[in-house]
Amino acid sequence: MRMIRAEALKLRRRRGLMIWSVILTIGVIATVEAVLVVLHAVNAAHHGPAGGESNFRGATETLALLGTVTAILIGATAGSQDVANGVFRDLVVTGRKRSTLFNVRIPGALIVLLPMVLIAFAVAIAFAFLFAGDLPAPSGSLVGREFVYVLAFALVNLVMAIGFAAFVSARIVIGVLIAWNTAVTHILISFHTLGSARKLIDVAAIEHFLPGASSGQRVNMTTATAIIVLLAWAGIFSGAGRWWTTRRDA
Amino acid sequence: METVIETHALTKKFGARIAVNGVDLTVPAGVAFGFLGPNGAGKTTMIRTLLGLTQPTSGDVALLGLPQPAKRAEALARVGAIVEEPKFHPHLTGRENLKIVAAARDRAAEGRIADSLERVGLAHRADDRVKTYSLGMRQRLGIARCLLADPALLILDEPMNGLDPAGILEMRRLIRAFVDEGRTVFLSSHLLDEVEKTCDQVAIVDLGVVVVQGAVGEIAAQGDPTLLIEIDDPAAARNVLGGEPRVTHVEEEGASSLRLTLGDGLVPAEINRALVNAGVAVSRLEPARATLEETFLTITSRLEDHE
Repeated sequence: MRMIRAEALKLRRRRGLMIWSVILTIGVIATVEAVLVVLHAVNAAHHGPAGGESNFRGATETLALLGTVTAILIGATAGSQDVANGVFRDLVVTGRKRSTLFNVRIPGALIVLLPMVLIAFAVAIAFAFLFAGDLPAPSGSLVGREFVYVLAFALVNLVMAIGFAAFVSARIVIGVLIAWNTAVTHILISFHTLGSARKLIDVAAIEHFLPGASSGQRVNMTTATAIIVLLAWAGIFSGAGRWWTTRRDA
Repeated sequence: METVIETHALTKKFGARIAVNGVDLTVPAGVAFGFLGPNGAGKTTMIRTLLGLTQPTSGDVALLGLPQPAKRAEALARVGAIVEEPKFHPHLTGRENLKIVAAARDRAAEGRIADSLERVGLAHRADDRVKTYSLGMRQRLGIARCLLADPALLILDEPMNGLDPAGILEMRRLIRAFVDEGRTVFLSSHLLDEVEKTCDQVAIVDLGVVVVQGAVGEIAAQGDPTLLIEIDDPAAARNVLGGEPRVTHVEEEGASSLRLTLGDGLVPAEINRALVNAGVAVSRLEPARATLEETFLTITSRLEDHE
């Protein structure tokens, strides 16, 4: 637990990272919701209520995307900062197992990321209910599925970024994973000729949890398959990162 | 005597290049041990291999009597080390950097943070970010980090690097204080003078091979005797000395002084007699104390290259 807290401390003290993380999660959701409230207040005829089910979906999809970017930023930093700052060897000579030095990065980064995503999600729920007006408020089941979707997107990418950052610099990790999530996977998913092989794509598995997506947007798979695919992606990246951390020269 | 570091036939290769070549090293407990060698001799690779930062190609290592890597965690729990330049997270304060490492050590380590900072004279800057520290302050913070382990053995790689004269003096005092407390300090250096002033024992390494090891005084005495003479006519004196084959080396030591290296049983009185007989006035004739530097230059390959 002391090592996990130490990992979180290393991340929390990075002002730039923390400011951007708050902006990308809580900041964006709160700002967009506030703008919708103001627009509705100023001109209710042209702008509907800020809350309700459809606005909630829009907010959580934005949060899923930006929360993932935040997860990649935090994960890439958590996975690379010891080596980048030349401190890794000083941790190795404490006698701690290298695998432990790697493993604590995941909960350490999670402690930093999770509150931001949860607060942003809570803001989205609050606006959805408080400013629903005459629109239907989101159901409990929708809130639950959106929550799983946002969380799965962020957590899988956090673990992938931490594992990947054991091999390459944070900048490369950030560039590659953002490109993978925003462009490459969507292109691959659109290739119907790939057939059921598309089930192996992490974004396809995550989108299984996206409520209300049309069948044309998603690759059909069972929930169990989606969970296995996501666990496999997280496991492969974290396993590879751990393997390299235990073998690299310090 | 108890040993804190023991290696047998320790070898580390990088491809075809041999960085550490079959090293047998024994470091006794409770001394300052200098690991002396020119840049590129393999000192840092040896230290990295001792600490398990890189895997040896072959050979055995024991730290604090515990075989490595089998008892690695047990041994390193009582070892503090600075490898190359001490590095820290620059965005964290000195105290926070120590907290990070203390978290990876035993529970008592966190309680040692304040004392360690006080010991190295950094208590007043402990809450400043490390990126504002000078190199000397980072060296001291590195020592504080070592002290978190309450180490029986400190391994310091070139600890005097980048320090000003006052910093070097302070570091020397710290090292001697650690030895007085019963700790062992293993320090690598290419600074002969510092090793001679700081260490009790020394191993001289070159091209990955430990050439000699033992007490500093004993090793320094291994070189040929040298003689410092002050004369009225250095040119004439050189002529006289040139005719004596047992004078193996002559070099100028100022306008009217020469330093001679005597070989094959030649004694100072014979030099004096030869010079006086040739009409050279000798105003001073002093057997010079052999220094570690002379021994070092004699036995390392650098001297061979120079010749």
